[in-house]
Amino acid sequence: MSWTIVVGVKQVPDADEVGIDPDTGRLDRASAPAVMNGPDREALEAAFRIRDQVGGEVIAMSMGPPNAKTVLKEAVAMGCDDAVLISDRAFGGSDTWPTSLTLARAAEALEADVVICGEETTDSSTGQVPPGIAAHNGWAQLTYAEAVDARPEEDRLAARRDVEGGHELVAADLPVVVAAAYGEFDPRPAPLHRKIYGENDFEPTVWDAEDLEIKDEVGLEVSPTSVGGMETVDPVERKGEVVDEIDDLADSIEEVVA
Amino acid sequence: MSPELESDTVADPNYDDEFDAIVVGAGLAGSAAALTMANRGLDVLLIERGSSPGAKNVFGGVLYTPTIRELTDFDDAPVERYVAERRFSMLSKDDETAVSLRPGEWHEKPHNDSYTVLRGDFDEWFAEQAAEEGATLLNSTTVTGLIREDGRIAGVETDRPDGTIRAPYVVLAEGGNSLVSEGANLKQTETRENVAVGVKEVLEFPQRDEVIEDRFRLTDEAGVSYHYFGEGAVGDAFGGGFIYTNEDTVSIGVAYRIEDAAAHDQSPEETLNAFKSHPAVAPLVRNARTVEYSAKTIPEGGAESIPDLVHDGAAIVGDAAGLVLNNGVHLEGTNMAVESGYHAGNAIARAADKGRVGADALQAYPESLEESFVVKNLEHYQWMMNAVEEDRDLLFEDLPRAFADAGTEYFRMDRQPKESHAKNAKSAVLSAVGGWTGAAKLALRYRKVVT
Ligand SMILES: Cc1cc2nc3c(=O)[nH]c(=O)nc-3n(C[C@H](O)[C@H](O)[C@H](O)COP(=O)(O)OP(=O)(O)OC[C@H]3O[C@@H](n4cnc5c(N)ncnc54)[C@H](O)[C@@H]3O)c2cc1C
Ligand SMILES: Cc1cc2nc3c(=O)[nH]c(=O)nc-3n(C[C@H](O)[C@H](O)[C@H](O)COP(=O)(O)OP(=O)(O)OC[C@H]3O[C@@H](n4cnc5c(N)ncnc54)[C@H](O)[C@@H]3O)c2cc1C
Repeated sequence: MSWTIVVGVKQVPDADEVGIDPDTGRLDRASAPAVMNGPDREALEAAFRIRDQVGGEVIAMSMGPPNAKTVLKEAVAMGCDDAVLISDRAFGGSDTWPTSLTLARAAEALEADVVICGEETTDSSTGQVPPGIAAHNGWAQLTYAEAVDARPEEDRLAARRDVEGGHELVAADLPVVVAAAYGEFDPRPAPLHRKIYGENDFEPTVWDAEDLEIKDEVGLEVSPTSVGGMETVDPVERKGEVVDEIDDLADSIEEVVA
Repeated sequence: MSPELESDTVADPNYDDEFDAIVVGAGLAGSAAALTMANRGLDVLLIERGSSPGAKNVFGGVLYTPTIRELTDFDDAPVERYVAERRFSMLSKDDETAVSLRPGEWHEKPHNDSYTVLRGDFDEWFAEQAAEEGATLLNSTTVTGLIREDGRIAGVETDRPDGTIRAPYVVLAEGGNSLVSEGANLKQTETRENVAVGVKEVLEFPQRDEVIEDRFRLTDEAGVSYHYFGEGAVGDAFGGGFIYTNEDTVSIGVAYRIEDAAAHDQSPEETLNAFKSHPAVAPLVRNARTVEYSAKTIPEGGAESIPDLVHDGAAIVGDAAGLVLNNGVHLEGTNMAVESGYHAGNAIARAADKGRVGADALQAYPESLEESFVVKNLEHYQWMMNAVEEDRDLLFEDLPRAFADAGTEYFRMDRQPKESHAKNAKSAVLSAVGGWTGAAKLALRYRKVVT
């Protein structure tokens, strides 16, 4: 038994370097260097754990501009067996609907048994892409997965999910789309020779919209989202007070509550 | 029809003996060595423990560039300002006596090869130059040891899984805290008297623009490098303080013997704070906000502490080899780091052409370093470290106070004739140095500082 595990990785602006324009209050993303979306490192770790269990291949996929190759090289440096970039001018203006359609088609083309995504991205953070991939392909989905357990003899993947008051264990038939809960899969360090290979000598395969036969189903035209407007919110002034005695604290709180 | 993956991937990559040389540390010395070897056609792996070169680097700030300029196109280098003024200042507890130099020539290119830089930016750029010539830079990877084969060094061991890699030559450019070289017995751990601690803050002035230009009397790209010694700078410790202007920030710090730092109950941070609040220094850094604080060791054993520079399969360069000149007037390590990396890189390239790895094949490195300014300067000033240590109280406490007193006397405004002021001033200095004979002896002892 060996599975094909496909991981969605997205290139995002480095959150540490994203500045806020003091005049407009807008995020200045353009000047920040592009890095791999943090939660996607954890999605990769979840994938490696499944590969450790059942064997097979982990393949990274990213939909993005040509320079998104860098995050795919990094994914291979971290331990992926291969990677594919899905890139086309036609994708410009795509919202989560065509994005998840594209990734769904790519996962199909790769004959994925499991697709693993991060919980959400640090730039758009809708969390819609993993369920979108599942919906487009009619596959099962396991969201907010805190742990994964492959059951190859049943052709199923089980995941532990956090629910109020405890957790539940859900098993789904393959193929399945998983969204890895952020903070639950500590990424392992990249092996030395893999890191050298991934960063320097590996080149990802590139597919375009035509390869996936979705040329008319992507882009701004077919994106249902419309942005109504943007507003910046002024910070609320908060009153701070230091009390010397613990007993006085109760008084201050009472004052506010009253 | 479904698209396919172009499957020319390597399942089990292995780079053993794929590189001609491995360089440990992408500081100035390491990148200079990597760039030199890459220029000569060698495949080089440059390993850096920081998330990028310079990310972990503490540096007060003046980069001396005579060698770098020869190695690469320096025009787009991320420098902050050129040094247009150097000021040497003696601080007693409350007084300052200073000499300032602002030669017109320093305003013209190449600006006496002295620029303030922020190492986070500069080191990244310099390593990039090596990468553009074909070197492979590997960040976030710490070298933990060397591998040996038949007694010779044959590669390195890192903190990563599957973490050893072999190559015919290893260049150790790990800086002053040289754990790898020491761990492999390529050099001895420096004695405490030969190690200084440097602490530095980078300050910004959030309240308004042009604070730096106004306070330091600067226009355009000009900058300053101020050096301070005496008890007002680092208390009774052996060392000094500095201020360098960057483009929008100021680097301020102190560097002094670790021995003194440990023996006295003041932490390096407290020493820096005392320096920052000295009445002659505080106005320069008023209303500043600290954006970065860092500490590091500086080897300053001079020529006597240089270890064997070459071994079978390895060479040591830069601070790891103790190549820093720190004598109160000069604090120079950047130029020596680059010069040593350059000579080591050349020697390895020559040995590689002949297919030889023994220490004898690398002798060209120590030989050319001997001939260069690096060893010449270190030897020239070796005596000074010893002399200064002997005259420490006089130089760091009594003299700064005497000069301040002399100045106060000489310019005193009262109803006495100036002649009596001059006499008092002279006697303040003479009594500190032990009369005319004492002064003559001192002058003789220290004449080599400027000759
Ligand atoms: C209102 C709105 C308008 C937008 N308009 C535009 C627009 O005009 N033009 C434009 O280019 N973009 C636009 N976007 C951005 C774009 O729609 C999203 O970035 C994209 O659909 C992914 O959504 P997300 O980042 O929220 O992913 P999430 O659903 O938060 O991501 C979850 C996980 O899915 C996977 N994933 C997500 N995206 C990718 C990807 N590209 N490749 C591989 N894996 C991925 C990752 O594993 C990720 O961790 C818009 C977004 C919003 C919210
Ligand atoms: C406070 C202070 C002020 C100074 N002021 C001046 C000045 O004004 N002018 C001047 O010329 N000199 C000055 N110096 C000296 C100068 O900084 C050094 O001489 C110079 O940086 C030496 O360069 P290097 O490349 O040998 O070492 P470093 O610059 O220390 O570089 C060593 C590199 O190796 C990396 N490294 C270390 N260990 C490992 C490992 N095991 N694995 C992988 N990577 C590793 C480090 O992260 C670092 O990037 C000052 C020093 C200090 C501390």
